[in-house]
Amino acid sequence: MKHNEIPPGSLTLLILRTLARHGTLHGYEIAESILQASDNVLEVEEGSLYPALQKMLVNNWVKAEWGVTKGNRRARYYQLTAAGRKQLAAESSNFERVYSAIARVLQTA
Amino acid sequence: MSLLRRIQMLFRRSRFDSELEEEMRLHMDLREEEQRAAGVTPEEARRQSRRNFGNPTVLRERSHAAWGWGWLESLVQDIQYALRSMMHAKALTLMALLSLSLGIGANVAIFSFLDALVLRSLPVTRPSELVMLGKGDDAGETDDYGSTTLYSYPFFREFRKSNTVFSDVATVMSFGSEMHGTLDHRDSMQKLTGDTVSSTFFSTLGVDPVMGRFFRDEEDRVEGKFPVVVISYAFWQSEFQGTPDILNHTVKLADTTFNIIGVAPPGFFGIEVGHAPDFWVPMAMMQSLPSHSKGYADGFFQSNYVFGRLKPGVTRAQAEAETNVLYQHIVRSLPNADLSAYNLAHLQNAHVSLTNLSTGRSFLRNTFSDPLKILMGVAALVLLITCANIANLLLARATTRTHEFAVRQAFGAQRLRLIRQLLTESLLLSVAGAGLGVILALAADRVLLRMISGGPDANLLPLDISLNVRLLAFTLFATVGTAVLFGLVPAMRASRVAVNEGLKESRRSNSNARSPLGKGLVIAQIALSLVLSVASVLFLRTLVNLTHVDTGFPRNSVMLVDMDSSVLGMKSEDPRMIAMFQEIERRVGVLPQVKAASFAAFTFAQGSWNGTLNVPGMPFKEKNFVRHNVIGNGYFNVMQIPLLAGRGFGPQDSATSHKVVILSESTARDFFPAGVNPIGRHMYQGKDPKPENDLEVIGIVRDVKFRSLDERKTYIDYYPNPQHPWGYGRLAVRYDGNFATMSTAVQNTIRSVNRNLVIDHVTTLDRVIERTVVNQTLMAQLSTAFGLLAVLLSAIGIYGLMSYLVGQRTGEIGIRMALGASHTGVRWMVMREITMLVISGVAAGIVLTLLSGQLVRNLLYGVAPSEPVSLLVGITLLTVIALAAGYIPARRASRVNPMQALRYE
Repeated sequence: MKHNEIPPGSLTLLILRTLARHGTLHGYEIAESILQASDNVLEVEEGSLYPALQKMLVNNWVKAEWGVTKGNRRARYYQLTAAGRKQLAAESSNFERVYSAIARVLQTA
Repeated sequence: MSLLRRIQMLFRRSRFDSELEEEMRLHMDLREEEQRAAGVTPEEARRQSRRNFGNPTVLRERSHAAWGWGWLESLVQDIQYALRSMMHAKALTLMALLSLSLGIGANVAIFSFLDALVLRSLPVTRPSELVMLGKGDDAGETDDYGSTTLYSYPFFREFRKSNTVFSDVATVMSFGSEMHGTLDHRDSMQKLTGDTVSSTFFSTLGVDPVMGRFFRDEEDRVEGKFPVVVISYAFWQSEFQGTPDILNHTVKLADTTFNIIGVAPPGFFGIEVGHAPDFWVPMAMMQSLPSHSKGYADGFFQSNYVFGRLKPGVTRAQAEAETNVLYQHIVRSLPNADLSAYNLAHLQNAHVSLTNLSTGRSFLRNTFSDPLKILMGVAALVLLITCANIANLLLARATTRTHEFAVRQAFGAQRLRLIRQLLTESLLLSVAGAGLGVILALAADRVLLRMISGGPDANLLPLDISLNVRLLAFTLFATVGTAVLFGLVPAMRASRVAVNEGLKESRRSNSNARSPLGKGLVIAQIALSLVLSVASVLFLRTLVNLTHVDTGFPRNSVMLVDMDSSVLGMKSEDPRMIAMFQEIERRVGVLPQVKAASFAAFTFAQGSWNGTLNVPGMPFKEKNFVRHNVIGNGYFNVMQIPLLAGRGFGPQDSATSHKVVILSESTARDFFPAGVNPIGRHMYQGKDPKPENDLEVIGIVRDVKFRSLDERKTYIDYYPNPQHPWGYGRLAVRYDGNFATMSTAVQNTIRSVNRNLVIDHVTTLDRVIERTVVNQTLMAQLSTAFGLLAVLLSAIGIYGLMSYLVGQRTGEIGIRMALGASHTGVRWMVMREITMLVISGVAAGIVLTLLSGQLVRNLLYGVAPSEPVSLLVGITLLTVIALAAGYIPARRASRVNPMQALRYE
């Protein structure tokens, strides 16, 4: 196993959280910041970021705008919307609940 | 919100793709740079970045999928593929399109008439609440005490006032719509259609005027005081060019100038489907109309249909109960009620049933609804045969595509996806077929309307047969239905391929060679075709039988001149009027090439005036209606109806002489005791033996057909015009020579007697008779067309299936021939198979024909549905055509070159 894969379904949560913390990022930056924030423990299959972002665009959780990178290349920058913030809150609390439940089971075991 | 974004995305597909591409490339490039910066070799850095990113194609697809348009994309793909594969098999596509457009077109055309005549609701407010008093049948009977079909105006007024079940009640006169009048101050009179109605007519139907107003109550309450008319929208447009000051215009009828006070909404025609009046007049003005009817205040002038709108929550049964209580009460209390024991007994048995009026009433419906329903069924059968045909063609094609499907399944295509693909092809085929079919139907509708209206010289009936939502829904239903019918089975079959076998075997797979499904379809086709061909033979024979019916008079060389004598403003009993008619008869009668000329109240199929006769000493036949006719002295000569006994009418039969009557043969026989010579005997018209009803029988003439060719025994009696003055509308002339010249001569002669008489229309007795069999003609022509179409389709079906089977067996046949089978032997082998198909189909068809015979019994004349000759004709026709269609592939089979066939294998 090359790295620690992230649990299924949590990619959206990670993206939402990352965007909430850093504001406006393009795809590569999102991937990088997830990696760094998790001390390189979590590794996204990088490409799968993009279908996930499209899904979030459809749901209006993020909005995208084209901008220019420091290296002077065109990039699509993503930003949370109000609906995205709401979704983040909902998914986080859900994650907390599930995570703590799993943790409790593991402790008693 | 989300849908809007998704639709936007759909229109920016290429931009979407390029942006995604750019974004992903940037990602990989940045990763590559980072790796290189970390000291990895350029190649390794590139490889790493690509590997970490994943499969871009899959990712792109998943990105697309996020937008949820996958189904649409694959549909577009399917359609593109279907178009390609249809173009690939041009002959099949053309065949299928042609038969489908004929099949669907026929259905749509017939349905549009069924819809217009039988199914469509009146264009009024909540038509389902409308009911009519009585059964709404066409003809009432004047002697009937207390009619339950037609009602007097005083009855209506009383009924409207006392009932509690209708939110409003209205009435319309059942006759007298045709008249002549003058618009504004134009030079000449023109033919007009106007209905006489109560002031509540429009409000009960719940329509609003587009201009002006409708009638007020007082305009219907005081007789003759308010000369007002409401005109129809179409009349406003056609005769007044839609002028906005229409309310300043007038219509002059007889001596009265009527002010136009309003315009009805477009499409409104009242309650009679197929009858679209130009205007409506209040009942109170009936005596001012050219017919000068005096029944406004007569409690027993039973001339009107009465209808009402049920109050909310009142059921038809409740309304009927109250209506009958009121009916008994009102009829008895009418001022001129004659409450004899006989009349009371009659009245007690009278029952008014309420009839749903949501689709209106229609004189056409009685004639055409059965034929149309049968034709609808026939058209549906033709469509079924078409479906079977196309299914067969597709089935054959599917087998040749086995290889293709095997390859596609091997590449991972799902079976459902293949079925969907094939159904898309079917759907595309039927949508294209339906498109052509609708165009065809629009053309066919015009021809049909012509036919129903009575031929090329008749006025078109005002029936709305244009495309509408219901029709399009029907078409859609037919289209999808047919696509599923003919597409599903071949699709299921084609996709059920064992991949290995399909790939291994040669393209000409033998697995379906026996093709029981294909054979089943052909048998079904033959069976249905037999039903249709027998039906067409039956309808053709009906038509032939009818045209050979003995009418009792020769049909040819009689000219009928329709005129309107009511425009003269004289009453029919006016001696000047009687003299004028006689003068016309005399002057036309002496024209060269005219043999005889006479007026008649009723010539063939011109309606009737029915009543009863009372012969002293015989039981009163209250159920045996006699058709009364009023005629000129030369009528029997014109019609060449032989006088069997006594004498005809002459100058001695005047207004002041004793009233006389001539009876038809059957009337004389059935109303007088056997063995008694009726000549010189007396009888009464109607039941009452009053002196003024006394008639002396002076002659007996041969029976003739009176209203229709297929009528049974009809009782007729004839009265001389001076004794029974009639405002004649039709002169009959027996002539020799050219119709056009004679017609001009006759019209000039009529004008020379009275230049003010309006002559409408000149026709011949032949044409009139032809028009009475319009629906039988329609049935005969259409069922023949459908029958031939069905047989043709079946022939194509047989040809297609057998060609395919022969093609499949080329190798086998080659071997047989190499082993010494003769050409004839091979041909016989194939023909045997075809014969088996035809025999099975015909057998099934005979059963079906016998089962469905009862459906058409009422539409036949002089021939029974199970009659063997028709069946035999149908069977022979079908067998010959089917075998001929099968012979071509059989011959091709026998010409197979064994060497070639084997080499090919």
